[in-house]
Amino acid sequence: MTIDLENICKSYGDLKVLDNFNLEIENDHSYVITGESGKGKTTLIRILLGLEQPDSGKVHLMGDYKYAYLNAGVVFQEDRLCENFSAVQNVVMVNKNNSVKVAEEELKKLLPEDSIYKPVRELSGGMKRRVAIVRACSIPSDMLIMDEPFTGLDAATRQKAIDYIREKQGRNPLFITAHDAEGFDFCREVKL
Amino acid sequence: MTKFIKNVVAAVFWLLVWQIIALIVHNKVLLAGPITSFNALIRMSGEPEFWQSVSASYLHIIAGIFIGILLGAILSVVSYKYELVDMFLSPLVLALKSIPVASIIILILIWVGSDFISTFISALVAFPIMYVGMKNGFTSADKKLLEMAHVYRMPPLNQFRFIYMPAVFPSLVSAVSLAIGMGFKSGIAAEVIGQPLLSMGNGLYRAKIYLDTGDVFAWTFVIILVSWITEKIVMLLLSLVKRGGMVK
Repeated sequence: MTIDLENICKSYGDLKVLDNFNLEIENDHSYVITGESGKGKTTLIRILLGLEQPDSGKVHLMGDYKYAYLNAGVVFQEDRLCENFSAVQNVVMVNKNNSVKVAEEELKKLLPEDSIYKPVRELSGGMKRRVAIVRACSIPSDMLIMDEPFTGLDAATRQKAIDYIREKQGRNPLFITAHDAEGFDFCREVKL
Repeated sequence: MTKFIKNVVAAVFWLLVWQIIALIVHNKVLLAGPITSFNALIRMSGEPEFWQSVSASYLHIIAGIFIGILLGAILSVVSYKYELVDMFLSPLVLALKSIPVASIIILILIWVGSDFISTFISALVAFPIMYVGMKNGFTSADKKLLEMAHVYRMPPLNQFRFIYMPAVFPSLVSAVSLAIGMGFKSGIAAEVIGQPLLSMGNGLYRAKIYLDTGDVFAWTFVIILVSWITEKIVMLLLSLVKRGGMVK
């Protein structure tokens, strides 16, 4: 499938966040959206997901797309996990086809085994981030969207997380935001 | 001193104050002391009418509270989901909360009669407490988590269990506790005004006619006791639900 972002404009009051932004998102490609805070990275993601409407311009979901919305695995800028429940429950709850067994296996690829049954609120920031990444990759989706997914991860775990995401991505497009493109050699950089 | 001992000491102190004042007043009609009241309780509990009154009132009131809580819970969910229902229910709930209970009691007496007066009243008192409490709980659910659930198309039942329940449960517990306490108080008030035969409210009323403060205190004690026991049992059940892992 292809997603065509056409002349997207968005302002908040006097602040113009996105000004005639164009991008074609295609299968087999990864994109890293770079720019300082406040440059509209999160806004772009929210528009892609249909959570916000652009002031002008359109998001086209092209090809024979069977949904009216973008079916995506998402890592939000905040973790947005259900804090009182375990990592396993957080992964299982989001889709009716997700099983405990598979969730356990997947979580163990990125997290220590003894952490996946603790309530998420007891995990460190970096661990929560990884739970959110596994959750995003756990649902059948047409695209992965990740808003600064590696904050709080050290170099080694970050590399492990990238490898994990690349493996899960398959042919689907991957859309990541970051402060800079360092370490995202596999991505096309889009500067905001 | 442990908390328990502190409480006992304080209670004994006030019972003594009560007894001393009663001795000074020295008039059983104006103020019966704790000993007189206790004796009244013992005498009353020997009469079969006492047990009939307590059980009849209890069943009536608890049925009313149950109906009110159930209705409040169901309608709070419906009105959270459908704004139109909320629009029409809100003024009704506000009215129920603002109208003096005594007025509602008189109206129900005129329209329905005294047989089920306490059931009606405790239901009408419990309903808005539960409705408002649960609705506040629903609106306090984390907006960002709800957005996440929307983006993931999380199954509605899971949204309810993992996002709404943790937000609603604390309000639900305090609303149920309040509904039980208020339900009993207003149910008894309804019985005092409506005087259905063989009820705790009627017992209180007769004590008033005979100017028997000992009986008034005895009935009051019984009413507080059954209300308290009920609340404790329900709270225990709710905490078991929580501990069972249904809610976290």
